[in-house]
Amino acid sequence: MLQRFLDPAVLAGISGLDLVAKTVVDGFISGLHRSPDFGFSQEFAEYRSYSPGDDLRHVDWNVFARSEKMFLKRYRGETNCQVSVLLDASRSMKYGSRGLEKMEYARFLAASVCYLAHLQRDAAGLVVFDSEVRHFVQPSTRQGQIMRLLHGIDKAETGAQTVLEKPFAHLVDYLRRRGLVVAISDFWEEPESVIRTVSPLRSRGNELILFHVLDPQEIQPKLKGSMLMEDLESGVKMEVSPDYATHEYKNKMSAHLEELKSRAAGADIDYFLVDTSRPLDEALRQYLAIRAGRL
Amino acid sequence: MGFFSPWFLGGLIAVGLPIYLHLLKRHKTDPQPFPSLMFFEHREQSSVQHRRLDYILLFILRTLMLVLLALLFANPFIRRNTPKGNGQKIVVVAVDRSFSMRTKEGATSRLDLAKEEAQKVLSGLPPTQKAQVVALADTLQAMTQQTTDPGELRGAVSAIKESDARASFGELSRYLRTLSESTKTPLEVHLISDLQKSGMPPGFTDLRLDEDTTLNFHTVGKVQPNWAVETVLAPQHVYDPKRARISATVAGFSAPAATRTITLLMNGKTIQSKSVNVPENGRGTAEFTGLDQASYGFNKCEIRIDSADGLPADDRYAFSVERTDAKKVAFVDDGRRAQALEFFRAALNATEDPAFQLEPLRPEVAATANLTNYAVVVLNNLGQLPQGLEQSLERYVTAGGSIFESIGPGSVALPRAPVLGEAIEGTKYASREGERFFTVSDVDAGHDVMKSVERFDGVRIYLAVSVGTTKSRVLARLNNGTPLVLERKVGEGKVLAFTSTFDADNNDMPKHGAWVPFVQKSVAYLGGGGSTEQPSNLSVGEYVELRTGNEKGAQAEVQDPDGQRVLSLEESAQARNFQLTREGFYEVRTAGGKRSQVAAHANRMESDLAVIPQDTLDLWKGTGSSASSAGAGQGTGGEANTTPWSLSPIILLLLLGVALAESVIADRYLRPPTQSQETKAA
Repeated sequence: MLQRFLDPAVLAGISGLDLVAKTVVDGFISGLHRSPDFGFSQEFAEYRSYSPGDDLRHVDWNVFARSEKMFLKRYRGETNCQVSVLLDASRSMKYGSRGLEKMEYARFLAASVCYLAHLQRDAAGLVVFDSEVRHFVQPSTRQGQIMRLLHGIDKAETGAQTVLEKPFAHLVDYLRRRGLVVAISDFWEEPESVIRTVSPLRSRGNELILFHVLDPQEIQPKLKGSMLMEDLESGVKMEVSPDYATHEYKNKMSAHLEELKSRAAGADIDYFLVDTSRPLDEALRQYLAIRAGRL
Repeated sequence: MGFFSPWFLGGLIAVGLPIYLHLLKRHKTDPQPFPSLMFFEHREQSSVQHRRLDYILLFILRTLMLVLLALLFANPFIRRNTPKGNGQKIVVVAVDRSFSMRTKEGATSRLDLAKEEAQKVLSGLPPTQKAQVVALADTLQAMTQQTTDPGELRGAVSAIKESDARASFGELSRYLRTLSESTKTPLEVHLISDLQKSGMPPGFTDLRLDEDTTLNFHTVGKVQPNWAVETVLAPQHVYDPKRARISATVAGFSAPAATRTITLLMNGKTIQSKSVNVPENGRGTAEFTGLDQASYGFNKCEIRIDSADGLPADDRYAFSVERTDAKKVAFVDDGRRAQALEFFRAALNATEDPAFQLEPLRPEVAATANLTNYAVVVLNNLGQLPQGLEQSLERYVTAGGSIFESIGPGSVALPRAPVLGEAIEGTKYASREGERFFTVSDVDAGHDVMKSVERFDGVRIYLAVSVGTTKSRVLARLNNGTPLVLERKVGEGKVLAFTSTFDADNNDMPKHGAWVPFVQKSVAYLGGGGSTEQPSNLSVGEYVELRTGNEKGAQAEVQDPDGQRVLSLEESAQARNFQLTREGFYEVRTAGGKRSQVAAHANRMESDLAVIPQDTLDLWKGTGSSASSAGAGQGTGGEANTTPWSLSPIILLLLLGVALAESVIADRYLRPPTQSQETKAA
């Protein structure tokens, strides 16, 4: 029942970002209960024989009562992961063809990831950037961290154009502890440049997930006639014919996405194309799959 | 080029619509935001070029469609040369059979020579050549339809018979123009004739031929001297045979001076003969006095000269004379104005053989007399009528009699004019101080009586009686508006009224030149005979009146010189006239019952055998274009005439084609990409 709330268009009607994140994640989790393939932190992982020095709080006393042997319960969630969400707030993220801007969708996605991390007791942080780092929330598990994250996400406004090199150079300095880096952007740059920019994060031992947020019109534009188009970032105007958009643009876009995907795979970076017309749970499912596999 | 409905060209204003839609409303100025144009290029895409081509093509097609639509309604046409005949032609062989073709050339008549020539022309035609034979006289008689059957054509030539009518080349040209117009085929005409000059129409334009008509002349006969009885002046009615006078004129055409013997024959008997000297190319006249042997009724008379030329048919001239007694005219007068009787009698007897005999009557006598014995009753300025006279007069008129009355001062005491029935309003005097006399200012010149009085020029009227005009037709009116001559039809008869007197007291008319014709014509009109009758001596081709229009359903009858009835039952009941077609005496009974004998003679213009000058013939030929192009027109049939040719069918086809192309282009231009195209592009 809650699944229908994962529709981005429905989520856009919800005012509070915390409520959006809660709705998305709770609904998503309740859906996962019916799936045997996925698990997350706090779940039982394995038993291990007690060794001197182990914390007695993790001894399974029920097993000891039955077998008079001491075993320790191991949980996946016990791993202490740092999740950093990089949210692109460039002007191109302001575009939206179906009433929902990419920026808004990206906010929902970032909030949902942060909320999930919060549930898993992960230390979640936030970096909002365009050509510069506009906002930074240090990853932490402290009380009230989730509210700071959501507040930061909520306040993120689109500004300048996307220049990945400059903010990512700073991020290398910010993210000194290894963890999971989730980058949410439309990546309107050359794939080679994108991968070259983000790959230093990966080399530091971070798991890197690229959520490529695109509007359906960006992937496959449908024009009713020749029209004058304006680049949201550079302000350049150009007359575009529907025939060109149907054929040549689409070919170029497909090649662009394919190259980005292949280069990301080559750099051991997880890449996921997020269509703003599709429900958020798909992106979250991807995130969890990667997190479960890597951690 | 022109337009049948040019006002529909106003629809071209609609061309502004595609101009507005395509050129003025073409671009949207608001740019559409897009995240990045990194995959778009500044270069002109071929697809865009293609689209723009489509766009321009679409604009042109739509504009063209509206222009064609407006043109379609305006219905343009061009003048197009329409080839005639598709290379075919019709040969027309015209054989002259007029009166002059009776002329002998040696032992053979000109008509026989013409027939031989016609047969030669026909024998020279190809077997598939379409031809027609016509016979020419005053009218054209088509002896065959257009046919390729040589036997039929030859038979038609053989069947042509001589005629007493004159030739009319104008009639031939008119027929050829009609034939050319109706068949749209070039004509090759062979005119076989003696080409008499007298056959030419008065105006040369009547000879005009169509451009694709070739005229070839085949002249038969030569100019030869000819004498003919040209005219005969004879009275139509003879009242006193001893006083009858006949004048005959003999003319010599291209003839030397000669003495000819003229003979008057009546009913086959020779009455008198005289010799007359006819000068070279001149005329001689002989007069015959007295027709003592004329019997009562119609007499068949003839003037004949001794034959000495090739055309003996014009050496005799038939005319008809009717011997009858003079009609009696009653002059009712009270005797107080003897001058009027004398003036009236003098006018009536002014001719050599007067048709009317005046008989004075006192009113008292007239009241008891049998008025039906009189052709006309004249009432001279009568006052109070004796008892019974007016009733007797009314009965007489109603039964068909005629009254000629003078309404003068003596009649002013009467309330109404006798029989005429119009109220007598008073007397109009010309005062000595004023105008002194009245003149006649308004004359109905179309009336038989008024035709010859020449508007009463110079006639002075001193006194006139004003009468009403409620029932009568005013034939003449004075300058003060008073009616002078009135006519009224009463029953079957007529009443003619003169509102002044027949003496010289109240007008000077009896002393004026208008008096005699006025009296004679009036009496003749009322009593019948004279000029009101149709002439009894006519030329062949002229018409005899059979009815005036009032005798509906009554039978008329005509017997030709052979005594045969020539009218069918329908014609005898309906025909208004009859054309004389040959010489001789026709017995005619009109629908009104009047019998007459009409003598028909050939038109004497045919006696002049002078030939049309070659220059005139060349001019006549020149009216057809083929003549100017010499023999080039022979059988080509390539001449053309221009006719307006509507372009609407072509424009309609163009419009359909343009509409179809517009639909295809518009579909290509406006159609969103199909799923397969998208998949293919992906």
